[in-house]
Amino acid sequence: MTAYPVLTVTTFLPLVGAALILLFGGERLARWIALATTLGTLAVSAPLYLHFDKTSSTLQFVESRDWIPSLNIAYALGVDGISLLFIFLATLLSILCVSASWTAVQTRVGEFYAALLVAETAMIGLFAASNLLLFFIFWELILVPLFLLIGVWGGPERVYAAVKFLIFTLAGSVLMLVGIIVLYITLGTLDFKAMAQAAENLQPVHQAWLFAAFLAAFAVKVPMFPVHTWLPNAHTEAPTAGSVILAGILLKMGAYGFLRVSIPVLPDAVELFLPAMLVISAVAIVYGAYVTLVQTDVKRLIAYSSVSHMGFVTLGIFTLNQSGVEGAILQMINHGIISAALFLCIGMIYERTHTREIKDYGGVAKTAPVYSTLLALFCLAAAGVPGLNSFVGEFLIIGGAFQTQVWLGAMAIWGVALGTAYLIWLYYRVVMGELNSGLEGLRLELNAREVATLAPLALLAVCLGLYPECVLSYLRAPVTELLAAGVIP
Amino acid sequence: MTLEWVHPGILLILGAWLLPFLKGRLKRTAMLVLPAAALVDCLLMMPGTYGVASFLGQELVFGRVDSLSLVFSYVFSLMALLGMVYSLHVEDDCQHVTALTYAGGALGVTFAGDLLSLYVFWELMAISSSLLVLLRREPSAMAAGFRYLLVHVFGGLILLAGIVLYWSETGSLAFGEMGASSGGLAWAMILAAFLLNAAVPPLGAWLPDAYPEATVTGAVFMTAFTTKSAVYALIRGYPGAEILVWVGALMAVYGVVYAVLENDARRLLAYHIISQVGYMVCGVGIGTALATNGATAHAFAHILYKALLFMGAGAVLQMTGVRKLSEMGGLYKTMPVTLGLYMIGAFAISAVPLFSGFVSKSMVVSAAGEAHQGLIFLMLTLASAGTFLHTGLKLPYFMFFGTDSGRRAQEPPTNMLVAMGLAAAACVLIGVFPGLLYAHLPFPVDYVPYTMQHVTSTLGMLGFTALGFFLLLKHLDPEPAMSLDTDWFYRRGSVGFVRLVQKPLVRLEYGFVAEIYEFVIQRPVLAVAKLLRKFDSTVIDTGIVSVGHSTQNLGQVLKTTASGHTQHYGLIMAAGILALVALIALVS
Repeated sequence: MTAYPVLTVTTFLPLVGAALILLFGGERLARWIALATTLGTLAVSAPLYLHFDKTSSTLQFVESRDWIPSLNIAYALGVDGISLLFIFLATLLSILCVSASWTAVQTRVGEFYAALLVAETAMIGLFAASNLLLFFIFWELILVPLFLLIGVWGGPERVYAAVKFLIFTLAGSVLMLVGIIVLYITLGTLDFKAMAQAAENLQPVHQAWLFAAFLAAFAVKVPMFPVHTWLPNAHTEAPTAGSVILAGILLKMGAYGFLRVSIPVLPDAVELFLPAMLVISAVAIVYGAYVTLVQTDVKRLIAYSSVSHMGFVTLGIFTLNQSGVEGAILQMINHGIISAALFLCIGMIYERTHTREIKDYGGVAKTAPVYSTLLALFCLAAAGVPGLNSFVGEFLIIGGAFQTQVWLGAMAIWGVALGTAYLIWLYYRVVMGELNSGLEGLRLELNAREVATLAPLALLAVCLGLYPECVLSYLRAPVTELLAAGVIP
Repeated sequence: MTLEWVHPGILLILGAWLLPFLKGRLKRTAMLVLPAAALVDCLLMMPGTYGVASFLGQELVFGRVDSLSLVFSYVFSLMALLGMVYSLHVEDDCQHVTALTYAGGALGVTFAGDLLSLYVFWELMAISSSLLVLLRREPSAMAAGFRYLLVHVFGGLILLAGIVLYWSETGSLAFGEMGASSGGLAWAMILAAFLLNAAVPPLGAWLPDAYPEATVTGAVFMTAFTTKSAVYALIRGYPGAEILVWVGALMAVYGVVYAVLENDARRLLAYHIISQVGYMVCGVGIGTALATNGATAHAFAHILYKALLFMGAGAVLQMTGVRKLSEMGGLYKTMPVTLGLYMIGAFAISAVPLFSGFVSKSMVVSAAGEAHQGLIFLMLTLASAGTFLHTGLKLPYFMFFGTDSGRRAQEPPTNMLVAMGLAAAACVLIGVFPGLLYAHLPFPVDYVPYTMQHVTSTLGMLGFTALGFFLLLKHLDPEPAMSLDTDWFYRRGSVGFVRLVQKPLVRLEYGFVAEIYEFVIQRPVLAVAKLLRKFDSTVIDTGIVSVGHSTQNLGQVLKTTASGHTQHYGLIMAAGILALVALIALVS
């Protein structure tokens, strides 16, 4: 294997960077330390991708140390194909967040980057954790930097948004904590694999309550209808980097929780809740798309589109067939890439215009062709145009949904149709037509740093669209195992 | 490494991106070499299965080469070449790249052996062709282009839904005859998507809405690919589907009626595409060897002469800047070559003997006769007469002769004339030597177009149509100002039935896409969306926020109980213990 504990180093390197920034202050230095740390994190995580065995569904790069011996709880890390992909996404998006905030953040620069790096540690740790307690700790840890990012560096309504975000997520995670304690008392372990093997010791009634408790936490994070209303506020008020982390990673944590806890550990409850989950997902897709259509604020529009897109993800997960679940995970990655890209695009132009109202835009293509081209690429990708990444994920999910029930597939298709409509309409109003008089004289075109920030995402959107196998091959083994052990719908 | 097979579509799509980097003569050479290479590629291709790839555990076939795909690939790549010749003078890289991508998409559809790659190229065509409309960069073109895009994206989604459904029903993505799930939902959805692209009314209103708004050169490309690739897909997937016979015959008549009423030159021709595609759809529906051959041959011939007609109309539009027939007139003096070439196309489309339409259209009509579809036979023949009336007589008369408008437009640039000349040559060649085309049809041909009976009946019909037109015209001529409005025929009260139907029909039709779009889709969708937004912010959000507020208020109330007096606490504790004891006593 490798010379150093890869997962631990990858997880905590950003924390070291944060400490350095707080120690040595200085605006310029803070930026460079943050950039170096995020790039370094990607570099030290390289062995994960080089030495990973895709054919195996067991955890790899396992690290385990005694932590609380009296309670038989270990500090245990390990990744499978699913978590590996999210670790990659988290490390990549962190780099882009640093780059995107280079000139946009001018106040309390050091603290900003420190918060960003703490968030990176929390994100990576969450996906690397192989027991529930560690998972929970990182789950809660990420709230702190994000609360600060929104509350300190956000827009005019930032305090309301930050508090709302915190209350929603804390209310969910309190119930999850109760669930974790109950699980520990009944099963005597919090290790994911061990819990899944001991799942039959749980009474179906207990499972149902536990499922509800975890659902409270996961549903808020996803967010599922009807607990999604924190999302538009938080997204809209957050600085660009905050929106990127929210959309790119935070929303995926809930869905990841379903895959790690609910489905393997609580199979009877999943069977019980299945119809409800499918209905909620389908409602979220269509409802979210409708509400997106009439938003007048660009950021709010993308935020609501996330509700619809994450509806696809939960729909895919709860089809409980290979096609649907693989599609759902792929779609999480895709949504991470595309929504991050869209928020970056909006953030970049906001930095120049200081308005988020769609009606203040128009004719951007006239002065910013590169920007318009990239935005078109990401809008098309989000709309699920074949050849770009979302298409494959949506195709698999809809395929899985049709296998479950035809009307679910129909709802999903309707969601795609509305999705295409709001994206094209958005693009039409912002980019096409005559240049809005309010934008005259502004230099709207992207600079080299910004193009470089968007380039990796554009590349990924195209590559995953043409060759989705590079993601799907990681998923096959773990998803097969997940479905073999779990319920059959 | 030797390349066993080069996908001509991908050759065009990728090659197109070279153009922005080239300049001057080199660029023009590349514009011609690319489609020419694709054409040669198709001509050299041997039947077989190529370009097999694995994607999502399914086998994708990018190169299903057989007699049917070959004949369509010949005409598509030939058309790409003619179109590029026609647009050589245009200094707009965007248009060239888009047009080549569009042609590449059509070739991709032609060679697709599975539904997924079909869908990919299908969408590529939708996007690139809407760009051809948008690139005209005028407000009306923008609006029409977006409507066009939305219609096609919607059609694409229906196709996608059908494909996914078909996949989950049969476990296969192979694109062949869709009989496996005949009459099922998947069958119907895929058929609906194909019919939408084939411009079957009322799904086809996008065509006359968008084509006249496209760029002059873009319109030439558009006439060739979208509807004809849909015809190809229908031949492939739905041969002999009974419904197509009636749909096709109705289309043939419908297109002609509206074309007769039309005043905008390119819009007239656009309606006429619907009519001609009707023949092909009808042929697919009849499904006999003769009918399928007829549909294929007619698609082949149609692409060439329709492109020729659009080139002619486009040349006039480009040189005069005028769209309405009633504003043209008298151009024969200064544009004789354009007139001559246009007339070859007009004769071809009217199925005059020795022109291509004669040898292809008659196959479909005869197939209808052979299959004992009397009514269909009649409808197709009727539409044929109408065709000559508007494309062969009305349009050229008002455009080139008619009342002199005083315009003295020059002949278009040489490359446009060359393209028209090549297309015209092809029309005549096929008309005179039908064997050239027949040899490539999917089924063996023993059909003889040039029989005495067939030739005389055709000439007779054409002759009477022409006679009627000129008699009518003479009678109507006195009004000197060839008026501006859309409905010349209507205002003269010349044709009885027109008076009755035209106003409501035209209003319905003109507004169709725009109004369907607005009343059926846009308004309800937006209304629902606004309602849900309100629901979201008032009901859900307020509900959830009020949980927070009530918790806060409860805290305020409870705060008052924390008075700080030990006696109060003691009292509460005593009450609590009492309640607990009572509870335990009750339970046990």
